[in-house]
Amino acid sequence: MRPSHAARAAVAAVALALTAPAAAHHVGAWAPRDNEISANFKQLKYSLQAGKLDVARRLYEQGAVRQEIAKRTGSLPPGLDDAVRTALTLGDVAEAERGLTLVLAALIRDLALEAGKQVGDAAAPRAKRVAAGQKFLEAIWRYYNLIDFTVTQRDPKAATGIRLAFDDAEGYGKGGAPTLETAAGGPAKVSAPQADPDKMLEPLRRIARILSGVVETFATPTRRQS
Amino acid sequence: MSAPRADVMTEAWRVPPVSVLLAAVALIACAEVGGASMVQWKPEVTRWARDTMLARPAVHGLVGVRDVDEQILDEALTRLDGGLRLFHLHAEGMGTVIIVTTMVATTLVASDTLRRAIVVLLTVGGAVYPFGYLLWSALIPFAGVTPAKRIAEWVVWIPFGSAAIAATWLLVWALGTRLVTRRRQPT
Repeated sequence: MRPSHAARAAVAAVALALTAPAAAHHVGAWAPRDNEISANFKQLKYSLQAGKLDVARRLYEQGAVRQEIAKRTGSLPPGLDDAVRTALTLGDVAEAERGLTLVLAALIRDLALEAGKQVGDAAAPRAKRVAAGQKFLEAIWRYYNLIDFTVTQRDPKAATGIRLAFDDAEGYGKGGAPTLETAAGGPAKVSAPQADPDKMLEPLRRIARILSGVVETFATPTRRQS
Repeated sequence: MSAPRADVMTEAWRVPPVSVLLAAVALIACAEVGGASMVQWKPEVTRWARDTMLARPAVHGLVGVRDVDEQILDEALTRLDGGLRLFHLHAEGMGTVIIVTTMVATTLVASDTLRRAIVVLLTVGGAVYPFGYLLWSALIPFAGVTPAKRIAEWVVWIPFGSAAIAATWLLVWALGTRLVTRRRQPT
């Protein structure tokens, strides 16, 4: 190698070596935060668990969950607000939890329906549909995570169905892991399934359908044990 | 206690060129102004960024549903605020780094060419690098978090960060060479 070539190669190597650390700059970190509804739901849940019914009642009266009930009067069982308030006044924790779970179940169902509409919009670019589907799934899981335990206690089949449908939708939204395919007589080749918005539709509809059932189940008041 | 070494005793620290000191002090001044402005106008900056993002739903992947969009907006606003904080932090730090490293280079690097190269690279690289954070923050509402980061990377962080890193390694190499040469010299 001529000296000028060696020098150029050395400069190129140094430049390459510098690019990696220079690209590794601090950009901070971000973790999803609770919104008003999920924060209020958690506060209510913890107050109920701790037996602080006066605190729970105050948090409910002034909180975002009650505002959400007022917004969704058409899609929720009539008298839900009164039922939750009465339960909190009487100290009926199970009944209060039923009402609160019902609100979130209806909210998630509506999110899944809207996700189905946007992911199924054939006129929109494929990447946009996939991205929208992923964002909706994040929001769905953020809320469902809060009621999974209560739903599992009362309707384990529905809870399992929702989790499976969520996994399916998430898998179709992310695409699959690379697999080795061997055609008969042909050479083996590696293929990775791409994210498919059309395939996301069915699990999203399944989530909405199961949650409609959950809303119906939770619309029936729990029988008092005593 | 050991006696002070002769070479330390005989060499006085030399001040880097005034232009270098001016750049470093101006950078620290920018950091202070940036930090103060960030606190003073936080609500205004947040409101402007939010409105700018809402006016560009396609850029940010907003879907028109509160429960989805507020997370996207929250991430972008947090990143924007983080960019401003990192500008404040890096500008303060790099100002000091420029002063110290150029002083070391001016005092201890014997070769004129190498010394000038190190001082220029440290000053330009170190002074411009923090502004990448300002650029990133400013671009987030218009381009989205990831594309804005990519622009800041290729326009500022990689070229100027590389210059500062290269200069620091050159300085390390020059000091190492000086140390080895001095050890070989008979006392």
